[in-house]
Amino acid sequence: MEFPAALFPSYFGAGPPREEGGPAPAAGWGEHGQVLEGGPGRRQAQPAFVPRRGGTSERWEAADAAAVPVLPPSAGCWIPSPAPQDILYRSGLCRKLPAGKSGATLDFARQLGHFFVDHPEDAFGSLGQLLHKNFHLGNSKLKRPARNSTIRMTALVEDIDRLEARRGCPRQHLASRLRWFSHLCRDWLFEVPLGLLADCLHEELMLQWSNLLFDDSLTGGALAWLPRGDGGTRGGCLVHPGGQAMNHLYFQDMVLEELPRARGSPAQFELSGRVRQVAAARVDGEDFVGVRSDYHCGVWRVPGRTGSAPTPLQVIRTDVPASCLTVSPHLPGELSVCTQSGTIYLWNVETGLQQLRHDPETMYFRDHSPWRWSDFTAHPRVLSCADRTGLQCLDVRAPKKCHFDLFKVGEEAGCQQGERVVLPMYLGRAHPSQYLVTTQFSVYVLDERLPLVPILKWAHMMKAPPLFAHLMPGDPGRTHKVLLGASSTQELLLLQYRVRFWGVSSGGSQSACQLAGTPQKLHSIAGCLQYLPTQLPHCHHLLQQRLTAPATGLAAALQEDGPHESMLVFQLSEAGDVFCQRLTHEAAQPPAPTSRDEATTAPGSSPSLAVPSPAAALRYCRWLRALSRACREPPQHTWPPSLSQRRLFTRRELEGPAGPSTLQRQMRQQLRQAMREGGRIQRWEPSAFQPPPLPQTLELAGGPDPLSARLTAAWAGDWEQWWEDRTSFSVAQRQRALRERRRRQKRARGCRSLSASFTSSLTYQSELSELSDAGPQLLSPGHPLVLSQEGSPPARSPPARSPPASPAPDEILLSSQSLRCRGIPKERRKTLRDYLSVWAEGAPATP
Amino acid sequence: SSNEHKLNFKKSKEACLSYIQDAMLQKQWKRAAEFLTCYVESLEKDYSREHIGPSEMIWRIGTEILWHHSHSSMKEFNCFMEQMKTLGVKRYLKVCLEHVFHLLCNGQIDEAYQNLSLAESWRFGEQTALQDKEMKLIQAYRGLLDYYSWSKQKNILLEHGEDGFSDLAVEQEMHSCFRKAAVNLKEIIKIPGVWDLFVKCYVDLLEFYGDHNEAHQVLNEYAYNSKFPANPNAHVYLYQFLKRQGESKKSLVSALKILHDIVPSHELMIDFNTMLQKSKKRKKRRLGLEVIFAALDYAGWKENAKAWSCLARQVKQIVNSGKHLDWIKQEWNSRKDWWPAFHFSRYLAKKNWQENKSLSYGKALVAGVLLGKDCKYFKYVSHHGCKAQLKKFRMLKKFVNRHNPVYLRISQ
Repeated sequence: MEFPAALFPSYFGAGPPREEGGPAPAAGWGEHGQVLEGGPGRRQAQPAFVPRRGGTSERWEAADAAAVPVLPPSAGCWIPSPAPQDILYRSGLCRKLPAGKSGATLDFARQLGHFFVDHPEDAFGSLGQLLHKNFHLGNSKLKRPARNSTIRMTALVEDIDRLEARRGCPRQHLASRLRWFSHLCRDWLFEVPLGLLADCLHEELMLQWSNLLFDDSLTGGALAWLPRGDGGTRGGCLVHPGGQAMNHLYFQDMVLEELPRARGSPAQFELSGRVRQVAAARVDGEDFVGVRSDYHCGVWRVPGRTGSAPTPLQVIRTDVPASCLTVSPHLPGELSVCTQSGTIYLWNVETGLQQLRHDPETMYFRDHSPWRWSDFTAHPRVLSCADRTGLQCLDVRAPKKCHFDLFKVGEEAGCQQGERVVLPMYLGRAHPSQYLVTTQFSVYVLDERLPLVPILKWAHMMKAPPLFAHLMPGDPGRTHKVLLGASSTQELLLLQYRVRFWGVSSGGSQSACQLAGTPQKLHSIAGCLQYLPTQLPHCHHLLQQRLTAPATGLAAALQEDGPHESMLVFQLSEAGDVFCQRLTHEAAQPPAPTSRDEATTAPGSSPSLAVPSPAAALRYCRWLRALSRACREPPQHTWPPSLSQRRLFTRRELEGPAGPSTLQRQMRQQLRQAMREGGRIQRWEPSAFQPPPLPQTLELAGGPDPLSARLTAAWAGDWEQWWEDRTSFSVAQRQRALRERRRRQKRARGCRSLSASFTSSLTYQSELSELSDAGPQLLSPGHPLVLSQEGSPPARSPPARSPPASPAPDEILLSSQSLRCRGIPKERRKTLRDYLSVWAEGAPATP
Repeated sequence: SSNEHKLNFKKSKEACLSYIQDAMLQKQWKRAAEFLTCYVESLEKDYSREHIGPSEMIWRIGTEILWHHSHSSMKEFNCFMEQMKTLGVKRYLKVCLEHVFHLLCNGQIDEAYQNLSLAESWRFGEQTALQDKEMKLIQAYRGLLDYYSWSKQKNILLEHGEDGFSDLAVEQEMHSCFRKAAVNLKEIIKIPGVWDLFVKCYVDLLEFYGDHNEAHQVLNEYAYNSKFPANPNAHVYLYQFLKRQGESKKSLVSALKILHDIVPSHELMIDFNTMLQKSKKRKKRRLGLEVIFAALDYAGWKENAKAWSCLARQVKQIVNSGKHLDWIKQEWNSRKDWWPAFHFSRYLAKKNWQENKSLSYGKALVAGVLLGKDCKYFKYVSHHGCKAQLKKFRMLKKFVNRHNPVYLRISQ
């Protein structure tokens, strides 16, 4: 391609940008920029001038009132990502502040509160358990003795509520009680140290907020169109992510008719991360599709024929999130990858990765953003690399030595202060040496043969920075079309520029780059809301939320149908919806300079487009129906996982433990009583502690149900005693203990209360020991030696035991409390107990 | 309260602006114009300290609407621009320039000249750096228009001169145009920038009056001053000037060598290659090979049949002579890992054969020498060429088969 014979005049200065910056609403209008002699003169004698901006452009008219869904909504409900109101501080005084860069206040306290409420175990687990007795949550006043060790939390909560209500009041006084409480327990109450937790949360909040302001992980967009042109049917393949986590990659064959329609079911791949970017390029009749997620990049090959299946070629994993993946338009299977650590790789499917540069610092001046980008240039061995401050080109064969500056945010390109590179794109399909660079304020077209000086610059006036761009090269003599897309606002802008003039001008056929006509705004996904059938208010709200989800991709296809030419623009949203709009080329009108581009309509939108076409309306209805179906019935697997008890236990097993529950009740009562009387539970006494031998030794002695016995004992907190009983208690000792107990019971009979039997913790202890063990009770006296041996070394031979009855009845029967529970009259209880004790004493005698 | 009132006014102003913007982006110029008439009110309470104030917005939006509105006329446009010039002192020169640009694009050269002269005489206090630049541009454009009228008169004189008739008045006017143009054009091209148009005109003036030294100096300065951007055109103009002056081959080669260094893909590289190939010096022929190889590295040259035939010719020459095979080898070394996929794939063989036979001939010859007779590209093209009974391709096949050992030596 030839270099233009003359370029538009411009000043050239070096250094940082001088012009004061800021978003300027109308900055792109009303300027020709510069003029250059060229084009056919109207009168022969006079030179003719052409402007840098404002020439004639092609007319593309929207064919329908709004964008139309292309694919049915993905199954499963979409969970919107956090909105500003979720993490911003909302309060009377702060609401008036602009939710902009500096004015926003993150609601840190609320988020920390959410964490405490949602994850109390993680936040206060152990201390909460230890202290829960000392926190009173009721409304009643605390009584005197309890007041010493218990805090009434209700009052504190009231104080907090009051504080919340007064928030924003400059003269607020912290409640002294709250201050006292927080001072007291700030250091030890939290499971994770509060400072550390707060740091982590704050970091996460900042990240979320900066993502909300500008999420650069989406740069490049996750939608690609692979044109297919064989036979009579025109079509292509739409590559897009889907699924609830956007981790499925679909290759959907499409047929382009009046509205594009899916053909067959898509080829689907499940990936191990959210798809951030889908990049595609065609080399030698085959499409190569690169897919980037945070830590993985993959490449697919799609043969150029219709219906041919995509083949995955290779996957790489990165330690740091990748920020860019571009596919070479020159060599098959070659890609470039950038990571947020400032590393740029050339990735060849055959030869692997080649690191070209590693520099965590930005190129021209310091900028905090770790975002990096890289793309190909006219020379297949020269790659461009970009960060927020500009672009450089480097030679793959000697990346350290051979490089030159292509674009600098500075006076060279006439940038504004604070301007940053948002998306660079190689425009190779339109012109092999041209480059597109977008910033938050302007778009630039660069020619790598004249680096640093943009050959075209225009303030795009978009509300959000353009993260997506798509090029549709025009044939010689036609304009090239560039679509710019923003994420959060879903803006879509169609620009046209031309490199070549009609005819021959001074010296050469090639002329400088011109921006043709005015930019054109296209429909956004959200724009179709007004044309959808009326919904119930809450459905409408949900629908609105879904349709206004940030855009995440942009693709377009040019379709020629004889004299009619149309452009199909696809837009992908964060919810996974792909919408499409059709623009038709109005070639009939000659480019008359005076009366151009005025739609013959009254102020307001053109009446022919006031309602969507019947086909579009049908699409809306179908899509809505599918959406409501997808959202109404949640798929089975989305239920929170739960355990079914019926599966774990049979009905009989569940009924069985009904008996022991009385034991538990009894234990609880005993505990309560001990507490009430300030007594001690002897099991905690050091004298009662004997190091139990390894539990494994016991397994051999197990009869039919020693395990349940042991577990019962352990449940009651008396496992050691049980062990002791099993191992070292001789029968004589047991008998002595029983006799002792009976004597004490007789003595205590004068006492009215049944609880008297528990006054001594020793009683409790011995009683439990005797209750809990059914096994040794039944041991025959002829085997004491075996038993004593069992104590220290592991018993080899299992003691002969008759199959014991369930220990439960005996235990329960011996307790006077349980006797009462069973409705046995008081006067008969003694008789029963005596009988039982005699039976217990006599048991060893009976074989 | 007044504060709230101010806020509301600001809000409605913003809303109005967004309506205008929306209408303009949808090319609804009438609707935009209606909103703009409301927006003019915002001038009354312009307390804004924003980057672009309401008056500038009105100028920009109004201009854009008048460009596209079906009922606007040039007279209305001029009227609007005059009003806009008075609206902001700081913007006066900028508005003037834009007005002139519009007049120029609509062929109203004389009106544009008048406007430029008016703007040039404008003075208001101390000029800012930006205004200084704008003033220089205004003067330069006036110089440019002076140059065009000079060239018009020159053409008249030349035509009449042939008849043996000279008009003194015309000649005098022509000279005065020259002086006016030269002064202004000389000024602007001293400042770093891209001044292709102005430099060309100035050099043309100087050449006409025989001041070749000055012209040479101007072009040298434009090409080699490091404060100027690396503009390939600067070197092209210098080369063209040297060629016109009939300078020695050596100086032409050195001018093009620098162009080759900054833009290896420039279209003049073919001329450069031909020039070098004809040279008797080995070093220059070697440079010629380098130049053509480097040019063919670029995607824009992929299907340039002329360049491929240049390379094919030189490769054939080297192979036939049997000398300097190491030149090819050295060039090939840094390309052998990617040229086969970039240039010599089967897909391209098919495509080139279908689209351009002479291109595929040149490429096939180079491929056959560099990659041997088993190369996919060569095999496809020679097979189809022989099948089509083309003598050229049969010769090609014979040539490559005969010189297959060359491939073995290169690929070592």
